[in-house]
Amino acid sequence: MTVIKSPGLRRTIKVAVPFVLVPMLAIAGSMAFDRKRHIIISLAIAVLALLLFTAGFEKRSTGTRRMVITAVMTALCFAGRFIPFLKPISALTIITGMYLGGEAGFLVGALTAVLSNFYFGQGPWTAFQMLAWGMIGLFGGVLSPLLRKNRMFLLGYGLIAGLMYSFTMDIWTVLWYAEGFSIKLYLSALVTAIPYTASYAVSNVLFLALLAKPFGEKLERIKIKYGV
Amino acid sequence: MRSFSEYDPKVVALYFFSVTGLAMFCSYPAITAMTLGGGVLYYIVRNRRKRIKSHLFFFLLFLALALINPLISHNGATVLFVMNDNPVTLEALLYGINSAAMVVGVLYWFRSFTEIMTSEKLLYLTGTLSPKLSLVLSMALRFVPLFRRQSAKVSDAQKAMGLFKEDNVIDDVRSNMRIFSVLITWALENGIITADSMAARGFGTGRRTQFTNYRMRRWDYLFLAADIVLMTLCIWAAASGAYTFEFYPMIRYRGSAEHKIIGEAAYGILVLLPVIVELEVNIRWKYLKSKI
Repeated sequence: MTVIKSPGLRRTIKVAVPFVLVPMLAIAGSMAFDRKRHIIISLAIAVLALLLFTAGFEKRSTGTRRMVITAVMTALCFAGRFIPFLKPISALTIITGMYLGGEAGFLVGALTAVLSNFYFGQGPWTAFQMLAWGMIGLFGGVLSPLLRKNRMFLLGYGLIAGLMYSFTMDIWTVLWYAEGFSIKLYLSALVTAIPYTASYAVSNVLFLALLAKPFGEKLERIKIKYGV
Repeated sequence: MRSFSEYDPKVVALYFFSVTGLAMFCSYPAITAMTLGGGVLYYIVRNRRKRIKSHLFFFLLFLALALINPLISHNGATVLFVMNDNPVTLEALLYGINSAAMVVGVLYWFRSFTEIMTSEKLLYLTGTLSPKLSLVLSMALRFVPLFRRQSAKVSDAQKAMGLFKEDNVIDDVRSNMRIFSVLITWALENGIITADSMAARGFGTGRRTQFTNYRMRRWDYLFLAADIVLMTLCIWAAASGAYTFEFYPMIRYRGSAEHKIIGEAAYGILVLLPVIVELEVNIRWKYLKSKI
């Protein structure tokens, strides 16, 4: 799915971000600021990573249909975030990645984070949520053959994705609070986040177990019927 | 005469990122205090006496965040008292208060940001970067209420056909799963039909236009210029080491005084900019009304 139209701009981003901007930021971050200001640097790198991923999407043979299906999946994820306690976002993102490809999975995860935060509150964490959910979707696409074949593997991936999501978001919490990384604070953040972590992991496994198969059938059907 | 929320989205977005970015970057007590003060002030100016609950929530969050650090970190030279064989120090407490003020201040700013930056403005901003992305976002937003309405219809139809049972939990869940499944099939098919319809009407052949036309006006340019100048001053002050502040082992300020005053003044004005805009608008509005 081509997101950035101009190929020149895409190429520039693809070269500049990993080889120039990120190393420069990392070096400047460690050299110029003797005290640890990881937060801004990690935020900048998260934004750059999002840019890099969007620049990487350049499969030409897509079109309006595929784009609209992505929008449908994003809307479903968005609506799902209103369910109390159980969050189907990661599960739906993984399903999208599995059946529509990693790029669609990445987009659905990242866009859901931006959109739903209009209701749940935007903040500096939006970039991290976008990256975390986007990666979950992207790997859902990369691991697609395995995930489709083996059900236990699928549920395991859901479980790990839920745990990893919570763990990465806690790294961000600690960086934000204490401007340097402290393992003690991180552990206490992990402990206070246990209910959330459990809810993420449980809802991922539950929704993947319930939805993966019927959803897959529906998406496959649409793909065959309309040749998306 | 427009209030700050009606300014060009680019200007608004840049402003919020400059205030919160500087706040997160300089963990310096004066800056933190100004972030919190300015954030609360602007939130009150916008919402008046409403939203007491969110103020209460932020206050409790502030207390919790401020007290976490002295309980976990035992650095610092001035011991206040000893709890469970662990010293609680003054420095750790102040460090906690500083961090809490920063976090809560940024939260206040982003609360106002969320209120001002409606999804339509986001579409305007992403539209300049990538029209396709902007389209996916706007369609997703439009699908949410559409799906809700459709699911009510499906549910009515299922009930009319006698397929919906809610005698016990299992039946309830199964009925709802069926409705959900119907809804998904419908949503996907409907999406494809929408896409075909869009393609038939020439989607993607020309430049995409926006529903609202934002235009940079005189005040937008003025605000943007003020924002950039003040931000540059703050960054210059930070680069020359004006915000070097140490909490551990003892509270110590090491920086030059002149740079410090300029940096603090610049950030103070930066934080107050939207409040100044709102006040100006209010005063002018009252003045014009009094002339009628």
